Amino acid sequence: MAELSAAPRRRVVITGLGAVSPVGIGADVFAAAVRAGVDGTAPIQSFDASGFPRRRAGEVTDFEPTDHLKRLDPAAWGRSGLLAAAAARLAVADAEIDEEQLERGRAGAIMGTTSGESAVVQELAEQWVAGGLESLDGGLAGQTPAARIANAVSAELRLHGETQTIPTACSASNYALGYAYDLVRSGEADVMLAGGADAVNRLTHAGFYALGAMAEDLPRPFAADRTGILTGEGGAVLLLETLEGARARGARVYAEILGYAANCDAAHMVHPDATSIAACIRAAHRNAGVEPEQIDYICAHGTGTPTNDTTEVAAAREVFGTRIPPISSIKSMLGHTMGAASGFGAIACCKALEQDFLPPTANVTEADPVLGEGVDCVPGTGREARLDIVQNHGFAFGGNNVITILGRVS
Amino acid sequence: MTTATATADAPLTPAATRPLYVTSAGVVSSAGHGLAALAGLLRRGAGPAEEPSGEGAAAYPPRPVRAVEGFDVKAHLGRKGTKYLDRLTSFGLVACKEAIEGMNPAEVAGDRTGVVLATNTGSVSSHSGLLYDTLTLDKPYLVNPGQFPNTVMNCAAGQVAIRNGLRGLNATVAGGQSASLLAFRHARLALTLDRADRLLVGGAEELSAPAAWAWHRTGVLKGEAALGEGCAVFTVQQGAPADDSDVLAELLACEVRFTPDARDYADGLAHVVTRALDRSGIRPQEVAVVSLGAAHHRGLERIEERGVRTALGGGGLPRTVRVADVLGETYSASGAMQLAALLALWQAEPPAGRTTALVTSVGRDGNAAAMVVRSPLR
Repeated sequence: MAELSAAPRRRVVITGLGAVSPVGIGADVFAAAVRAGVDGTAPIQSFDASGFPRRRAGEVTDFEPTDHLKRLDPAAWGRSGLLAAAAARLAVADAEIDEEQLERGRAGAIMGTTSGESAVVQELAEQWVAGGLESLDGGLAGQTPAARIANAVSAELRLHGETQTIPTACSASNYALGYAYDLVRSGEADVMLAGGADAVNRLTHAGFYALGAMAEDLPRPFAADRTGILTGEGGAVLLLETLEGARARGARVYAEILGYAANCDAAHMVHPDATSIAACIRAAHRNAGVEPEQIDYICAHGTGTPTNDTTEVAAAREVFGTRIPPISSIKSMLGHTMGAASGFGAIACCKALEQDFLPPTANVTEADPVLGEGVDCVPGTGREARLDIVQNHGFAFGGNNVITILGRVS
Repeated sequence: MTTATATADAPLTPAATRPLYVTSAGVVSSAGHGLAALAGLLRRGAGPAEEPSGEGAAAYPPRPVRAVEGFDVKAHLGRKGTKYLDRLTSFGLVACKEAIEGMNPAEVAGDRTGVVLATNTGSVSSHSGLLYDTLTLDKPYLVNPGQFPNTVMNCAAGQVAIRNGLRGLNATVAGGQSASLLAFRHARLALTLDRADRLLVGGAEELSAPAAWAWHRTGVLKGEAALGEGCAVFTVQQGAPADDSDVLAELLACEVRFTPDARDYADGLAHVVTRALDRSGIRPQEVAVVSLGAAHHRGLERIEERGVRTALGGGGLPRTVRVADVLGETYSASGAMQLAALLALWQAEPPAGRTTALVTSVGRDGNAAAMVVRSPLR
């Protein structure tokens, strides 16, 4: 990727984190659970999974929208939008930024998703089966567009800036983060809320099972006995602003977004491609102005399918050679939260930078020897470590790879 | 600009925008294939919209449709790899094929060409059909794994990349009625920051009985309004091509905004139109034609016209183009179809001098967008 044009760009930092996750609500609760290697998965409650051979997922069972939202009527919005709006509220509170500044200023929301308002669509499909298409509820039908995920954030916070949902499947949060970074960096916006949301649903559960990508019991990324994913859900939102703005208001700065890259395998809809991922890593490093040896940690896409983890490690090896940084998967704890996954990855990275630890790969005691020498997947629980620059992976169906690079601001 | 919006936004001095160049187009619509077919339909006017016909017609609500009749993806792409393609992705592939055929072959492949495609739901027929299966099969886990990847919303963008070897930035954008204009906005930022050399930018929508019923039940469209489908994509690049005659249009500023309160939607649109004109260095009186997006939407149609009139100085509207009159409601693709309509008319009847147009969109969800477009030098 060519270097950026010569115009001066603003430095962009992350100053607020909002997590509504299967391991807890709130960034500190989330970080503590991740560090401890807590299993956030349980038998599915949101739909009747009795007809499926596997019935476990990472659901946010204690999510009560009215605990968090001041403006949105939960009956008028889908679960994905509500998860996003609640996470955005938490991010704003965490950033301790003046809400009126957001309303008046050039602030917007960019949200990623895989399945959009899947819980709404599922309810409509149930109406279809029960009473025919003519029985669809019109109000519910109006809640189906994926665009409503970012809209929910902007409606809740009364934002007037760019409000865009990016449904690039499982790398979507990273894409949203990258696009929001570009908006702030270039001066098109001053503050952005970026992240993603998805809800556990029947179709995604069935589809991953049918593809042979679902774990028998628990996700065990990078382990020899890994068998796949469990689906998950949540809302993950980060607040981005300029370093200058953050300093002026005395904000706590978790990390600077040093750069990112997005590319496309252009090869296969569902099989990842190591060469293409390696190209994306190199492009992200160039964009961020960092060298491979400066990367202290990789928050992996790490789905826990045999293919993903082999491909991801091979791609890392192409770039890092024999010294692959510690590489772990928080999907071992959350399940695969789809469009929110790389948003949770970014939040884990921010907390790891702040609190000096390596997030672990839970449910695992050692990396699969087949992955080769020197793969430290931080098995079990988190480990104390001082990190300066970290790299967050998101890959997706359609071959959409997005990698963000975050660094400590000293 | 109105006082209501002026106080809602912090003062800003937005940078002037440089033009982007549209060098080719691909269109699949109920008018047929390409800009010329669309121009023909716009100039003679569409006949009455049809009741749904053919296989599955009985499943549709009592509402006219403007379908892409007789569409056969294999006739365009060959048999290979088309077995599981859904209708939306097929429209995307065929439209992109036409756009790519209009590009300089040396520029097509590689890491620096990408895709930005608008959709709000992906292929409704794919995911609703598979979802229906999971609710009705004795063994709900035996859904067809070959069809599952079609249910993700970035399927069309991914397939376009695969078919054409486009390894650059690959984005899918949702923004309700304004989704296509958000895609142009997304592409503009990416090109400006050198994240790609050229992008295929547009939007796609497909007709299906479940989607038609969903539209019908929401009650947001006027009773006689037809539902449409199709895909329009454009090759967009930052630098001017060597040959002026390769330019179909110049894209100036594309501005977007969210308006949380429905009472302010017209002001919100007026605000983005004003900002787009300012950043383009265009005075309101220079706008010769407006390609409108909210035609046939109850309430919104007048909100859009009021917002545009306010931004252009409060008088009457200049010449208007309502592509939905001939194509029906194409939702995620509407902004791209609105641009296609302008380009089609400019090709069919080249303007005497350079003409400046506005493409506008306002949604029931709070999004509003405006893009300034200039006819090519001839």
